[in-house]
Amino acid sequence: MSARNAAAGGGDRAGGERADVLVEENQCSSMSLTSLMTPSSAAGMSLNMEIPRKRKGSMDSQDRKTASTPDADMEDDQNGSDEDDQHVKIKCFREPHSQIEKRRRDKMNNLIDKLSAMIPTCNPMSRKLDKLTVLRMAVQHLKSLKGSGSSFSEANYKPSFLPDEELKHVVLKAADGFLFVVGCDRGKMVFVSESVTKILNYSRAELIGQSLFDYIHPKDMGKVKEQLSASELYPRERLIDAKTGLQVQADLPVGAARLCSGARRSFFCRMKYNKISVKVEEKEFQASTSKKKESQKYCTVHCTGYMRSWPTSQLGAVGEGESDKQDSSHFSCLVAVGRVHSHSSPQVNGEVRVKPTEFITRYAMDGKFTFVDQRATTILGYLPQELLGTSCYEYFHQDDLPQLADRHRKVLRSKEKIETNCYKFKTKHGSFVTLQSQWFSFVNPWTKEVEYIVSTNTVISHDHCRTSRSGNKSEQSSNSKTSEEDGKKSLPVIPGISTTPGSMIYAGSIGTQIANELLDFNRCGLTEMNSSPSSGSVSPFSLPQDKCQQTHSQISNNVPNGEAADMEMPGKSSSEEEPQGATFSGGESLMGENSQLDLDSVVGPGLSNLSNDEAAMAVIMSLLETDTNLGEDVGFDEMHWSL
Amino acid sequence: MTADKEKRRAISREAARRRRRVESDVFGDLCRLLPLQPSVQAHLDKPSVIRLTLSYMRTHTLLKGKMEPKAEASHAVKHGEVTEGGEGRQECDGGCEEEERDTEDVEASEETNMYLRILEGFLMVLSTEGDMIFLSDNVSKYMGLTQTELMGHNIFEFTHPCDHDEIRNNLRLTAEEVWCGAKRDFVMRIKSALTHRGRSANLKSATWKVLHCQGRAKVCVAPSSVSCLVLTCQPLPLSHTLLSTHTFTSQHSMDMKFTYCDQRVTPLLGYSPEELLGRSIYSLCHTLDTNCLTKNHLNLCFKSQSVSGQYRMLVRGGGYVWVESHSAVIPSVRPSKSRPGAHQPLCILSVTYVLSGVEQPSLQLSLDQTVHRHSR
Repeated sequence: MSARNAAAGGGDRAGGERADVLVEENQCSSMSLTSLMTPSSAAGMSLNMEIPRKRKGSMDSQDRKTASTPDADMEDDQNGSDEDDQHVKIKCFREPHSQIEKRRRDKMNNLIDKLSAMIPTCNPMSRKLDKLTVLRMAVQHLKSLKGSGSSFSEANYKPSFLPDEELKHVVLKAADGFLFVVGCDRGKMVFVSESVTKILNYSRAELIGQSLFDYIHPKDMGKVKEQLSASELYPRERLIDAKTGLQVQADLPVGAARLCSGARRSFFCRMKYNKISVKVEEKEFQASTSKKKESQKYCTVHCTGYMRSWPTSQLGAVGEGESDKQDSSHFSCLVAVGRVHSHSSPQVNGEVRVKPTEFITRYAMDGKFTFVDQRATTILGYLPQELLGTSCYEYFHQDDLPQLADRHRKVLRSKEKIETNCYKFKTKHGSFVTLQSQWFSFVNPWTKEVEYIVSTNTVISHDHCRTSRSGNKSEQSSNSKTSEEDGKKSLPVIPGISTTPGSMIYAGSIGTQIANELLDFNRCGLTEMNSSPSSGSVSPFSLPQDKCQQTHSQISNNVPNGEAADMEMPGKSSSEEEPQGATFSGGESLMGENSQLDLDSVVGPGLSNLSNDEAAMAVIMSLLETDTNLGEDVGFDEMHWSL
Repeated sequence: MTADKEKRRAISREAARRRRRVESDVFGDLCRLLPLQPSVQAHLDKPSVIRLTLSYMRTHTLLKGKMEPKAEASHAVKHGEVTEGGEGRQECDGGCEEEERDTEDVEASEETNMYLRILEGFLMVLSTEGDMIFLSDNVSKYMGLTQTELMGHNIFEFTHPCDHDEIRNNLRLTAEEVWCGAKRDFVMRIKSALTHRGRSANLKSATWKVLHCQGRAKVCVAPSSVSCLVLTCQPLPLSHTLLSTHTFTSQHSMDMKFTYCDQRVTPLLGYSPEELLGRSIYSLCHTLDTNCLTKNHLNLCFKSQSVSGQYRMLVRGGGYVWVESHSAVIPSVRPSKSRPGAHQPLCILSVTYVLSGVEQPSLQLSLDQTVHRHSR
């Protein structure tokens, strides 16, 4: 934009110029114009004085954009009288001033170009037209535009860029609202603007003369009545002064016909809207002329306006048939504009899209449910209150725990939405439903802490389940094949293990670990590992060396068989300091089998470096310390390590 | 030699003068064709004339849409009395004597004026590059600059630099959006050359005013496909009138934790004001509306005022209500005159309108609804 360039140029130059730089402007109204252009420039720029025209000599040497139309002001008479005196001054200003002039010319030329682009007759011209011609054509064009418009001769004609009629349409289109006037005593709608048809789908004729209360949601009638009560134009007026946050009483005099701010009203109410007559294809809607309550739809309308009051003597036709108006000398009404908010606007096109079944849940950082959408009940069988406070990991199928734990960790650290793969969620009745979720952690923008994780869960039908994206695909599919048939949480390797209280607590600790991991991560940063009592060996982890984190990483490795791992924990509690290979014997082989597992994808970088079973066990030991229920004593060989 | 030179100079001077005169004449013609008051016309400089001409032409092509068939004029006649005459127009009473068209013009203009006045805002039409193609007359009331001074300029010259990105995003219109008349709703800061007392000051001493802009996209097909955004811009008021029982006020610290709440929240949401202190508003609302709250919060932090959309607040014991909040950031203590440079702690003042009744009262969606559940 030329204006912007000019402004930028002015801004750049402001620093270089002296305070008494004079800018030549042609017309007096340019003061505001320059200030519009260069809001930040020095004060001197806005001065409106004419510079001595000594620049002819200098200007000749400047390159000009349009040789055909030399800038008129440059070629005025030279004031040769005090040339010598001002010569020095001019010399100093020559440089910046010519820049100013150049900018001005550029801007003008820019505008002329734009003008020529807009004029239909100029457009097809192949060569660039000169300024004068463009202006002349603009004049012609405007005349032609005006010719079709209204006449100017009316005394009360107010020239405006847009005829009022059209302005009205534009305003109403922009604001998506309608004007209405209702009488205060009975809510009779005295006037409604045309645009109401677009918004509520009732015609003007249907509404005018009706009572507003017929069209308002029953529960909002009290609210609207309160707003309309004419007898209390001011008494319950309460203003909140934002400067102090206190309520102030508004002591405004009651003016009969004056529009004053005290009479302002603003409220929300739900209004009926008429159903749209339906095309054959849509089977959801039906044309309705009667106002059946059960099928009535409402939309929220924000009404803002003023109370007005006129003596009835002024009003001619308004008070027709209103015999009871004679006793009150004033007709009070509310003149308001109702705007529909975009969120709740009535469905116009009425297309019916079937969305996949989904529900929303919210977790705390450690995976405990803090909010459950009511739709979850139809899908999962649990009531929201049954889930609240429990950890999500208790319901995930064990096959899916690693990838979900991994996603959990990711989402706590990332600002983006994290998609999980398909996973199974245990319903109330013991069966599993396949879900796929999208998680994102919500960070309080002010405290920068993770407040909660929002999960949008979609029910996936079995054949649509997406292939796993993690490296464990082969393992997972093989596992799911083996476990698919029974659909129970327990794998065939460990028959008969059902959910026990121990396992639930264990599963819950996964989430806690992940959350703690994040907190500690944030706290410790990436510091070197101190000597950890849990393991004498060098830590294979490159992650921050928090105990919990390590244990978590290990735990997610153990994750597939939560119950068994839990049960095997207690057996090792005594051997925390010295990892005992013996107790691991049963699991070692399994561990070895699974060493090919892509541990990195599951537990984070560094773990794959783990070659030391002892270190692994040490990690598990430390997890034990944090685990609450260590009472079970289960044989180690029951532990299942595969993923 | 010198005489020759002088002669040539004189000739060129004359030529220049003639050219200038012609040019001024043409500018004058152009100026007179513009729908402006004569007093304003006299003071326009040449770039402004072109700027306004451009705006006029664009307005015409863009907004001169189909004229809807005139509806019955009888009811609208009342508007003759409704108007205050604040615009200085003298329209005839009744309007039956005048031509039908005049009546309708009158009615239309009255309605528009009334509309704009009630909305307490002005109309702005923006091109996709941000040029303010059209502004309604009353823009001077809100920005201190008149319509003729502003029309044709680019909005980015007048808005806060930090809001430019958001404005650009809103101006971006895909083809589909344009044809469907996609809606826009955002808050931006604009320069206002109004002093506290309402007088126009120089733009250099302009302050920032927060505007709530709502509107939709519009397109015109001929001669070429041009789309624009039609917006109503309302300055967000700093004081609210509260007349309804269905509103309550609350104060929050900058992280949206309650620091104070009106007594009226109790019948509306079931919580007592003391229960709410220290709790974050995010925990009280439906998850699906978190985005709405975040946007509101960010607007407050950056622009100091905001209107939230409609969101749901969870009611104690179960269920939720739909609400809308109008908020502003204010200093929480009176600025002391003795320490003018001291950092003022800020807090958020919020007026919340409850829009609906309690929906699904038996449904507990969040732990917070069960917190403090004890019989009174």
